[in-house]
Amino acid sequence: MSVLRPLDKQPGLNTATILLVGTEDALLQQLADSMLKEDCASELRVHLARSLPLPSSANRPRIDLIVFVVNLHSKYSLRNVEESLHHVDATFFLGKAAFLATGAGRESHCSVHRNTIVKLAHTYRSPLFFCDLEIEDFRATMAQRLVRVLQICAGHVPGVSALNLPSLLRSSETPAPEDL
Amino acid sequence: MSPQKRVKDSKAQKRTSQGSDSYQTNFVALEEENLNDSKCSLKHGQDNPMKDYGHVDDEAEDDLKRAMRYFEKGPVKTSQMKDKTLEKHFRTVENVAWKSGLAPEGIDILLNVALSGKFGNAVNTRILKCMIPATLVSEDSVVKAISWLCVGKCSGSTKVLFYRWLVAMFDFIDHKEQINLLYGFFFASLQDDALCPYVCHLLYLLTKKENVKPFRVRKLLSLQAKMGMQPHLQALLSLYKFFAPTLISVSLPARKKIYFKNSDNLWKTALLALRQRNQGPPPEPVKLMLGPANVRPLKRKWNSYSVIPVLNSSSYSKEYGKKGMALSDYLSSNGSFPLEQLKSFPQLLKNIHCLELPSQMGAVLNNSLLLHYINCVKDESVLLRLYHWLSQTLQEECIWYKVNNYEHGKEFASFLDTIIRAQCFLQEGFYSCETFLYKSLPLWDGLCCRSQFLQLVSWIPFSSFSEMKPLLFDHLAQLFFTSTIYFKCSVLQTLRELLQNWLLWLSTDIHMKPVMDSPLESTLSGSMNSVSELIHYVGWLSTTAVRLESNNTFLLHFILDFYEKVCDVYINYNLPLVILFPPGIFYPTLLSLDSSILNQLCYIMHRYRKNLTAAKKNEFIQKTKLQFRFSTKTYQEFNHYLMVMVGCLWTSRPFQKGLYIDHEVLEKAGVVEYKSSLNLVHHPALLSYAVSFLLQECPEERVSMSSIRGKKWNWYLDYLFSEGLQGLQLFIKSSIHRSSVPRPESINHIEH
Repeated sequence: MSVLRPLDKQPGLNTATILLVGTEDALLQQLADSMLKEDCASELRVHLARSLPLPSSANRPRIDLIVFVVNLHSKYSLRNVEESLHHVDATFFLGKAAFLATGAGRESHCSVHRNTIVKLAHTYRSPLFFCDLEIEDFRATMAQRLVRVLQICAGHVPGVSALNLPSLLRSSETPAPEDL
Repeated sequence: MSPQKRVKDSKAQKRTSQGSDSYQTNFVALEEENLNDSKCSLKHGQDNPMKDYGHVDDEAEDDLKRAMRYFEKGPVKTSQMKDKTLEKHFRTVENVAWKSGLAPEGIDILLNVALSGKFGNAVNTRILKCMIPATLVSEDSVVKAISWLCVGKCSGSTKVLFYRWLVAMFDFIDHKEQINLLYGFFFASLQDDALCPYVCHLLYLLTKKENVKPFRVRKLLSLQAKMGMQPHLQALLSLYKFFAPTLISVSLPARKKIYFKNSDNLWKTALLALRQRNQGPPPEPVKLMLGPANVRPLKRKWNSYSVIPVLNSSSYSKEYGKKGMALSDYLSSNGSFPLEQLKSFPQLLKNIHCLELPSQMGAVLNNSLLLHYINCVKDESVLLRLYHWLSQTLQEECIWYKVNNYEHGKEFASFLDTIIRAQCFLQEGFYSCETFLYKSLPLWDGLCCRSQFLQLVSWIPFSSFSEMKPLLFDHLAQLFFTSTIYFKCSVLQTLRELLQNWLLWLSTDIHMKPVMDSPLESTLSGSMNSVSELIHYVGWLSTTAVRLESNNTFLLHFILDFYEKVCDVYINYNLPLVILFPPGIFYPTLLSLDSSILNQLCYIMHRYRKNLTAAKKNEFIQKTKLQFRFSTKTYQEFNHYLMVMVGCLWTSRPFQKGLYIDHEVLEKAGVVEYKSSLNLVHHPALLSYAVSFLLQECPEERVSMSSIRGKKWNWYLDYLFSEGLQGLQLFIKSSIHRSSVPRPESINHIEH
């Protein structure tokens, strides 16, 4: 199966493409809708996938940013993302990949500990965002933030490139909140 | 004191007072008549004049009464009937408990029943679970209940549940003196492994300074050695250490932690609902200020309940019945001054020795006089109680922890507002808010309750920056970089306020000896390190933000506002710290298209010069105290910036050092004559001034920029100053020797 590489295709003119990977189809769809509602100078493309690898035949544009969405209420969702990660080229992790954890608010429902995902993101040196996607307001702000990151990844913000992102958005391996 | 009085007079009960009242009478009557419950209560009901309009209520009360009676009597031997009646009575009690709470007397009876072991384990558990007070729990009932524990009739699980209940209801117990006398008993219960966490929690709430004894410390340490580092033991130990630092030499984790899990959720939801019902309209937000004006409530904005309890001192409700008591009577009879009557600052001063703080500590947040009081009172347990309450409430109310009632957002925001008001009033942050931020900031979306959240950040108490960075500032940076420019500006403003609060704290604190053995570096250089790390952090944020937002003027304003604070640290706060802005800020502001930005930059450079020269002067005077000598690097940096600025704006020889552009490139770009293009006349931010100056001088002629020289240059300068560019004026005055012959002038370096 093919490995996804960031630079194996020519960029489209003024287009920025994001790939959302996760098992929560409905939430991903809603997040995609919110992103497309954002007012943005670049032309946005949002691709959704349950898991990687992607079918090799499809004719798809260059992917500028991959966001792995993990639902903390489901272990399956985490396992799925972990398996998908194998099909991504290492260069993606130079600023073109991010993790998004949903459901951290309701701690009692969590079957995946917050620290697990923090560690995972840390291992892949990629930023981690927390957001309860089920709530519309939170989703909208998250969509806005993702669009900004995507524009940087696509090279549409002068003076900043995706390579800057790991150092800017780095979340240090924080101690578990219980220890606070 | 009769129980009716208390129920009736307690403000919170007003709405239900009628019902409770009749319940009370019935109840007393019942005790006289003994037994045959259904019949006698029925009779009583007929006698009751309120029957006509209170029939349904009465019936419910009768049921409750009967149920109480039943429980008090103990289980009936014939088991067939037993289950049915038991179930029926249970349902009655539970209904009332969850609907409106139980009166203190009811709690008293049920506690007795549950702990006396008359019924089985399951029944006891069920009773304890529905013991929700309507207003308060009387201390006597608790003491009685504890005495049952000594008899050993109840099982371990009941005991655990009882302790959990006690912890949950702690704030609602009307007095704690008697309970505190039982401290030794509770302490002995630590032995029991199952009870230990809950007893620890109770002791944590109960401990006063005089309870900390060497033998207890030894016992705790041996327990810790036996059971390992348990969070609950740690909590108690750290509290002990707080009270008696000399007794405990073991090192405990420095950071304040949440030691106790929210295990009392069983009742918390019911209590919240209860408070909501009982409280009536929420206490109006009170403007915190000195003097009697603070009791005048502001206009309420929306109808909602508040999580902050109303002031309710037990002594007040007790004595209220005797009308016409003079103030002196209060003092002589009771020894404590009722908080409800505290209205003015002189009153506070007069009664400061005999104030009894409310049983629900949260109430002090809305009362400026009490905030004064807790600010100066020596008893640390008061603050600990407040912090404990705050941490719990913040955690429970925070909206992104309860996804389902997102509508509570407004209440949460107003709660945060109250806390912030109290913090501003006391001019210090609460530790509980700090821990709350650490825990919840990573989950924050940067939008909801934004202003409240950022204000909380600005009140974080001073401590080591490097310790806080991974907990807070890394997450803040992530939000900062991914959010809108407006968010960036508000974060910068927040950080400016944070810096100011820290500087104020340090500048007042530095002259005092270290009072507490605080976890942060207590030496001056350590503190300065922390502050400079904060400043460098903001420098990093700003440099990147300027790039991300392509030199946005609005953003630059906020950045320079921050540096306006930074440049004056030495003079304004008398702290040995001068940190210059990074080049990433300096150059974009120098080349900005906006004259106000340039003006602000000039002002900041002027202040830097003042601070650096003052530092230099002091160094010469106090040669002995050289530990805080600024490195020559700071002076070099400053001089470099100064040269660049003067070279650009004044002498038209920009970028003499450190920057070389090939002549050919300039030729290609069509700017061979670039040298004068950044001086005061041609600078893009000032060009419009130059044009309007020339037009004003001689409106008829063709405008020629190069004509501004010699005398005209000086007039032009005066024109600029008169247009409000004060910063520029100060900068030129202090940094450039203007000789009578127009140019060349010399730059005022600072020698290093």
